[in-house]
Order: sequence, then C-alpha cells, then structure tokens
Amino acid sequence: MNVPLPDTICAVATPIGVAGLAVIRVSGADCIPICDTFFVGKSALTASSSHSVHYGWWKWSGVKIDAVTCTLFRNPNSYTGEDVVEIGCHGGPYVSEQIVDSLISAGARAALPGEFTKRAFINGKLDLTQVEAIADLIHAESKLGVQIAARQLASGFTKRLNAMQSHLEKSSALLELELDFSEEDIEFVNRAQLLEHLSVVNSELESLIFSSKGAELLRSGVHCTLVGYPNAGKSSLFNAILGKDRAIVSELPGTTRDYIEDTKLIGGFTFHFFDTAGIRQTTDSIELAGITLGRGIMEQSNIILVVNDSTLGFDHSSPLVTDVQSMFPDTAVWVVQNKIDNAAGSKNDVKVATGGSSESELSVLSVPSSAISPSGTDVLVSELVSMAKGRTNIVGDALVNRRQTILLKQAQQSVNSAIEALANALSAELVAVDMRQALRHISEVLGTSFNQDILDSVFSDFCIGK
Amino acid sequence: MNTKFDILVIGGGHAGIEASCAAAKLGLNVGLVSMDFNTIGRLSCNPSIGGNAKGHLAKEIDAIGGVMPIIADASGIQFKTLNTSKGPAVWSPRSQNDKDLYPLFAQNVLKQHKNLTIIAETITEVLVSKWRVFGVKTANNEEIMAKAVILCSGTFLNAVMWTGIEGTDGGRVGERPAHKISDLLESAGLQRGRLKTGTPPRIHANSIDYSKMRIHDGDAIPRPFSLKTRRVVNSLACFATLTTNNTHDILREGFDRSPMFTGLIHGAGPRYCPSIEDKIFRFADKSSHHIVLEPEGLTADSVYVNGFSTSLPVDIQERGLKSIPGLESCEILKHGYAVEYDFFFPYQLHFTMETKAIQGLYFAGQINGTSGYEEAASQGLIAGINAALEIQNKEPFTLKRSEAYIGVMIDDLVNKSTEEPYRIFTSLAEYRLLLRTDTAYDRLLPLGHSLGLISDKLFNTWERGLGLHDELQEYVTQTKLSPEVANPVLINSNETEITESTRIDHLTKRPDVSLSSLMQISNPVGKYAVITQEHPHAVHQVETAIRYEGYIQKQQRDVDRFAENEAKLMPLNFDYTKVRSLSKEAIEKLTKIQPGSLGQASRIPGVSASDVSILAMYLQ
Repeated sequence: MNVPLPDTICAVATPIGVAGLAVIRVSGADCIPICDTFFVGKSALTASSSHSVHYGWWKWSGVKIDAVTCTLFRNPNSYTGEDVVEIGCHGGPYVSEQIVDSLISAGARAALPGEFTKRAFINGKLDLTQVEAIADLIHAESKLGVQIAARQLASGFTKRLNAMQSHLEKSSALLELELDFSEEDIEFVNRAQLLEHLSVVNSELESLIFSSKGAELLRSGVHCTLVGYPNAGKSSLFNAILGKDRAIVSELPGTTRDYIEDTKLIGGFTFHFFDTAGIRQTTDSIELAGITLGRGIMEQSNIILVVNDSTLGFDHSSPLVTDVQSMFPDTAVWVVQNKIDNAAGSKNDVKVATGGSSESELSVLSVPSSAISPSGTDVLVSELVSMAKGRTNIVGDALVNRRQTILLKQAQQSVNSAIEALANALSAELVAVDMRQALRHISEVLGTSFNQDILDSVFSDFCIGK
Repeated sequence: MNTKFDILVIGGGHAGIEASCAAAKLGLNVGLVSMDFNTIGRLSCNPSIGGNAKGHLAKEIDAIGGVMPIIADASGIQFKTLNTSKGPAVWSPRSQNDKDLYPLFAQNVLKQHKNLTIIAETITEVLVSKWRVFGVKTANNEEIMAKAVILCSGTFLNAVMWTGIEGTDGGRVGERPAHKISDLLESAGLQRGRLKTGTPPRIHANSIDYSKMRIHDGDAIPRPFSLKTRRVVNSLACFATLTTNNTHDILREGFDRSPMFTGLIHGAGPRYCPSIEDKIFRFADKSSHHIVLEPEGLTADSVYVNGFSTSLPVDIQERGLKSIPGLESCEILKHGYAVEYDFFFPYQLHFTMETKAIQGLYFAGQINGTSGYEEAASQGLIAGINAALEIQNKEPFTLKRSEAYIGVMIDDLVNKSTEEPYRIFTSLAEYRLLLRTDTAYDRLLPLGHSLGLISDKLFNTWERGLGLHDELQEYVTQTKLSPEVANPVLINSNETEITESTRIDHLTKRPDVSLSSLMQISNPVGKYAVITQEHPHAVHQVETAIRYEGYIQKQQRDVDRFAENEAKLMPLNFDYTKVRSLSKEAIEKLTKIQPGSLGQASRIPGVSASDVSILAMYLQ
C-alpha cells in the first residue's frame, strides 16, 4: 500500500482547444467511488479489475453530459501509483469542463501543475532524474535535444562534477584543519597552491557553463532578435527569413510597434525570431535603456542581429552596435548589411562571416543580406544554422539543463569569491565559507544534497494534467 | 535522609554539576548523587577549560546561565585566547586551572543552593515503571524517588583502566566502577557501545629542566570566561618541548605490551585527541610531536604532560619521557592510562537529552559518547533545564545549529550518533561566522534570562551595552579621518597611507589596522576614546561586523534557508515503511530517529537527497 495522500485530484490531461477527444485524469484513494457517482456503465468501476476499459454515460444531476470510456488503473499499477481513472470524452472545452466540475462537486480537487508526476515521484514510480528527463522531453525543441536528454545519465558530466567535488573537498578539508588545529601539529595550507586548485575548478566550471549555452539552444531553440534604426528593413528581412508576410512592411519608418515573434524550424533547430521596433538615433547616446520591451527580448536572445541599411554606409549603425554590445556582453551580436543589392561601394568590403564556429561572442560579425533577393537571406540563414551547430557541437554528451546551469553558475560565483578572498589575504574562515557554498552547489547539481527550490523548479516545468 | 526529589542527578562531574545547578536555580528540589563528595568537580584529565571550539561552548554556557565559566575563572591560573592569528570566528578562550581549586569552587557553587542536596551513594539501579522513571536504588538497596533522573556517569559504566596489558576495574585511579546500571539499561532496550579515552602521565614540577623549553605565556591582558567575573590574572606559565626520534623508538618497543595494539581494548578512541603511541603509529614519518607541560595548580607539585596521553607499560612511559629534552630526569607522580567504558548511542535521545525510550530519564556527558568537560557541561545544562521544564509543564528548551555550538553538538549526536568519542570543532558549525564567542551573549543571554537563569541585573547591564554598539557603529560610518590624523596609525601597521579623508569603517577593513587604534586618534579625549577604553568588547564587535561584512550576510541567507527546512515539520511517530519509494536504509534510519523536521531528516546519514525530496513532496 502507498501512503494515502489526503485527496483525490483531477484535471484535463489533453491540450485545451477544439479536438476530437479529450482525456480527464483522476487520481487518488477515492477516485474510483467518485467516478462511480457519475459513470453509468454495464458494471460499477468499484467492482472492476485493473487495466480495464468501460463504456457508458457520464451523468451529473440526472443530466447526461457525454458518452465516455473510463480506463481503470488500480494502485500501484498506474502512472501515479495510486488508483487512477482516465475518462475519455468528446473534445471541446465544454464537455471536459463539465466532467471536471462534476468530479470536484463529489470531493475531488483540481490538480496543480505537475501534481500527477509529483505523486508518481512520491510513490516511487519515477525518480527525480526521470522526472527531470520527462520535463526536458516535454520541452525539448530539437531532435538532438531529445537524444542527448536520453543519454544524460550515462554521460561524463557526473564524472567531471565528481572530480571537481573531490578537488574542492580536499582543499576545503585542509583549510578546516588549519582552523581547528592551528595550535597543534598542523601546518598552514599553502595559499598559492590553494589558489591554483581553485583556478582549475573555476575553468572546469566555466567550460561546463559554456556548454550549457549550447544545451539551451537544443532545449529552447535559438532566440534571434532583429534590431536596428527605423526603416533599416528589419521587418522585410524578418518576412524574408520566415518566407511569409508576417510583419507589416511599409516605407514609413516606425511601422513596427513593440515586437513581433515567429518560429521556424531550420536545419533541425527551432529558431524564434523577434522583430522589434526601430531604435531612433538621437544626438546623445542611444536610448536603448528606455525601450523596455525590446530590451527584455534582447536579454533572452542567443543572438542579436543589428540590421544596418547598407545604402547609408556599412558603418551607419556602428553606434548602435557598440551600445548593444556593451549592454549584452554575453550575447553574440551580428551586423547584417541589409539592402546590399543597392549599397554603394564595393561589396567585397563586407566581411562574410564564417562566424558560427567562432567561440568568441564578443566579436561583431558582418553578414551581407538582402530582403529582396532570396540568395542574400540564404547566406544569413545558413550562417545562423552553422552557428547553432557550432554551439551544440561543444555540448558533447552533457546536456546541462537550466537548473544545473544556474547551480553551476552559483558554484562558480562562490569559487570566484574564494579566489578573491585569497587574493585579498582574507582570513581562512571566510575563504572556507565560499568553499563550502561552492561544494553545496555542486552537490546540488549532482543531486546528492537536498534543495527545496530545485525540487519546486523541477516540477514547475509541468503543465496541469501531467 | 530525604528520599524524595523532583530531580536526581547521578554523577558529580561537569555534566552533573550543570544539570543540578540549573534545575535547582529553576526552583526544583534536586538531589546530586556522587560516590564520594570530594570527587565532585574533578578535572580528571587536562587541568584546563576552553580551547578551540570548546571555548565557544564555555561562553555559551555562561550566556545561558551555567556555572562552569565562573568556576573556571575562579580557579584559573593562566588565560589565553587561541587562534588570534585568524579571524574572530575562531578566536577561542582557554584557561589553565588549579586542579585542586576547581573542585572546591565547584562544590561551593553547589552548596549555595538550598534546594540542592548532595548524596554520597553508589547507584545500582534506575527504577522504571511503564517506560517512565520513578527513582533509583542505591548499593544499600535503598530507594530514592524522583520525577526525573539525569544520568551523568562519565567513564564509570563498566569501566576498565589500562596501563600496559594490566587492566583494573575503575573509572578513575582509586575509584570504583558502576556495573549494574549499564546492563539494566541495555535490557530496557537501549543500545550501548564501548569507547576508550586516555590520560597522560603527571610529573613532578621540580624534576623538569625548563631551560631547555620554550615558554608559553598567557595573554598580556587576561580575559575571564564569564560576564559575571570582573578580573582574572595570569600567575603561571606553561612550557613546550618536542618528542624526538629516540622517544619514538623507545615507545615502539612497548607496542607489543600495549592494550590498544594487542587488542585488549575494544572501544574506539578519540581520533582527534590520540595517544602518543597512536600518533607515532599513524604518522610514522613525523620525527617529533609537540609536548606542552601544564602546571596542575598554584601549590600542586604535579605537571600535566599534554600530548603524551598513553596506556603503554610504566617502564616504557618512563624511558620515553626521559628521552624528551628537559625531561631527562623527570619524576613520574602518576602514570598515564587508558579507560574503557560503556556509552549509549545518542540517537536514542531527544534534543532535550531525554531518552526516547524512558520518559523522565536524561543522559548527559560521556554516557552519550562525547569527550571533554565543556561538551559534558553543555549537555548537563540542557538536560537539567529540560528536566525542570518538563516537571513544570513548560515548553522544552532546545537550541538549533544556527543558534549555538551547543545546538550543533546535540543535533550531531541525535542525528549522526557517534562511533568514537565526539569532540566539538568549529568546522562542525555551518554558521561559524555567526556563532562567534563575541556573539554568544547576543544569541543566548536573552534566552537564559527568559528561562530565569540570568538575573535581571546582569541582563539589563548587557542590554545597555547594545545601545553602545549601535552608537559606535553609527560613529564609524559617519566619521572621516584626514590623512594627517590617520597616516601615522597606517604607517605603524605597515599599511599604505591615504591621500584624502576616509571613513573609519573603510580604514578598518584593512586587516592590520585595529578599530581601537583608529578610535583613539579620531577622538583622543572625547566620549569615544572613553568607550574604546572601557568597552573593548563593543569595539571588537563593531570591528568584526565591518571586516566580515558581506560574509555575514551570506551566512545569514544560509541560515534563512536552513530555517525554512527546520520549519517543515514531520508528523510524529510516522510509519516510514508506508512510503514505498524511500530507500531501505532511509526507512530504517528515519524510523529509528523519527526526525521532527524535514531539515533534520536531511542531516541523517543514510537518508539521501532523493529520500528527502520524496518526504518534501509528501509534506506538500
């Protein structure tokens, strides 16, 4: 027997919208009797065996709601490990809502996001890494992402983390020994050596964090934002890339307000393109900071395309490029020489980027493009794909997920803080605080240390009904 | 003789003294039973109180209202703050004590309580009915009734002393062991184990050639442990020497007659306070070990040979000692020996020190597997307080890991139990930067006061000091020093000079500049110079707050996180076997310990992070 959780939960498990069928999932100790209150079939569900399907009517207060099939799973042989009934009904929000409402009137409760999976986890049907893998699969936006998520566990990732952990533990232990036994036979820890150990750990963390950026591309797709001065042709380029008239294009500057988003699968990668409103050039510094919406989009971007109207000169957008770079130092910034067909001067002046493979994200790449002639856009698109490929090559077999990336960054912060403390000759008990924190974060990545926030975030990735 | 008490404390060691004083102070009728009145408060091993982390415990005992610090101050002959080359979090007070005066002062403190009776008896049985204690039985078959019994029996349960391969029954030289109690407790279902500890030889003060040794002085300004003590003085010094390769060779000759190496002693010894033979065996490549000669008193002839704890045969002990520079013609007054004794695995305790199995029965000190006077005293204090509160029907008094070293220790004992003598260390405290000796009163004095163990007068005086702290803090952040004023001090401490006026707190961040020196030049004749002179403690606290800034916030955030999980309560007497997905080991450990909170569950070895996650989800 499982520990009976206090209540029975229910939710529509299929996406909301117009569809042929919908499935409502009910789980919990009372779920079978609750369903029997409404289900009128050949035999009562209470009297039926596990893994059986029953056809009948769903009747609420004497009213026939729908003809349904009830699939019965008995504890422990179900997704959650509890008694589960899955009610198949006709699609459309009205019927499924009525069924859920009826269940709630009989004592069930609307499930929270991820609650079915949580119960599966508590009842030992899934472990935490499986839960995470399920969340990753639901969210994976590329084929490669799915493959790597599947072999995550067998990766060298854990090995690398373990090595780091033992490195830190050793240094940390020496430091603690120095603090507790300084009056006795213990010699002081060699600070230069400690610093060296920490630097090794730091660069190892750096490399894992770097590869996490590639992993993020596989999971969430490539976020690509087009910015530029008004009338640089952002929307035309946006439409050309997408191959459809998504954005309204006009000769008048400032046609696009806020931003427009669309998604396209190119070369196995999901690209999310964002077309933003033009940024007006003022005499003083560019008021990028004032453009709140566009800024938020740029922050989330993997790549920012500064679209330059090359007919006004290849360097026309340089001030904007400089500003974008200084605001988002960690993001790749490319200059797209738009309207290249009409540009004056030699086209050979434009450096064609080989940029996808470049690891340095600070360099500005210049890509020629034309929204009018397809070949110009093709160059840009193929550069984007090869960048995505280049990024994901370094992922290797470690698909560092978002949770892990955050923890790795926190670990790195602590290691850097320890390095700084050592450099400033701060006393050992302070360095020890940073080392302990770094160790804690690493053990949290490994799942050997409990952290409520992590648990919450793992389950927050689920939608209702999962 | 009175045969009815509220609380009976068995054993007059450091745990028993604190337990009986605390319970008596809380108004209970207390009986303290000791085999011999004169042995109450003995320093069985080191003539010293405090030291690394142990000094922290002593300060905490003082802040809650215990008595060890007052007795240590009164009988102290040398005072020193250890670790001053490091940051204030690991500064720890230590004293050398007169081994004859310490028990006298301790007995005197006990006598001051009218509701505390000292009974010279040997206890053979703890009387239990329906899992509730109701008294004890003496060797003369007399029964003494009590609502609670606190067992502080030290090393005396089934004790055997060893010197060489000769074993003698007894917990201390010349003192009888207690056999029956331990067996009875085991038959009541308590799980016991065996531990070992040892003590070095004592030698005659006049037989030592001090000219070959380094002097170990006390602090220039000796500071007492207790807030209640006005002043202490340094009257004697210690001396340091080193063992030689020759010493090690001699000692090795006796290994075949060592009770440890020949397997006669089964109990686990303290890894962190090893015997000299253990050190030679384990660190074979070291050619010498530190030896500190500590005088045992102002009038005593004996000197404690710190670092030379041993149970080797007497002839080996003697030859070994004589091979050490300065000890060539030393005269041994008492040989070193090892004691093997029973303890009860401390996972069987509540945080109040009450046993989970028998209501009203409390354990404190070495019976729980700890070593050290301060560790024992802390447990005695907590046991005494809680036994009293229980009888008075009041909420229990427990301390968290984030509040005190005492909390760290008891939490470790209950959750991790122990297989070897447990000793406190600063590295065991996650929140070391917050649990400093200079914050002990901030952390615990209000608690001691509300318990009724700290007088209003003492508490009010301390509270006034808090205002001073805030005032100083404000002054240093608002006052700038000009280069002309500050530079002489900076030059003096080998720091780079300043070129423009700089805030005092910014200057204090430099490791070699003391706040008190800056205060003196900043306000040489004014109010702040007076404060600096008269309240060094407040200045020190402000200085630490400045230097640790940032790190203290980091630790505070950790404490908040810790508190969140402590607040997630586990149901009482929960049947963990019902949670199918928990690992087998986790089920076993969780059932045994029955953690009160999710946080506590996460600290139990064998309960993995994924087990804790499962519990966390279950609690939601």
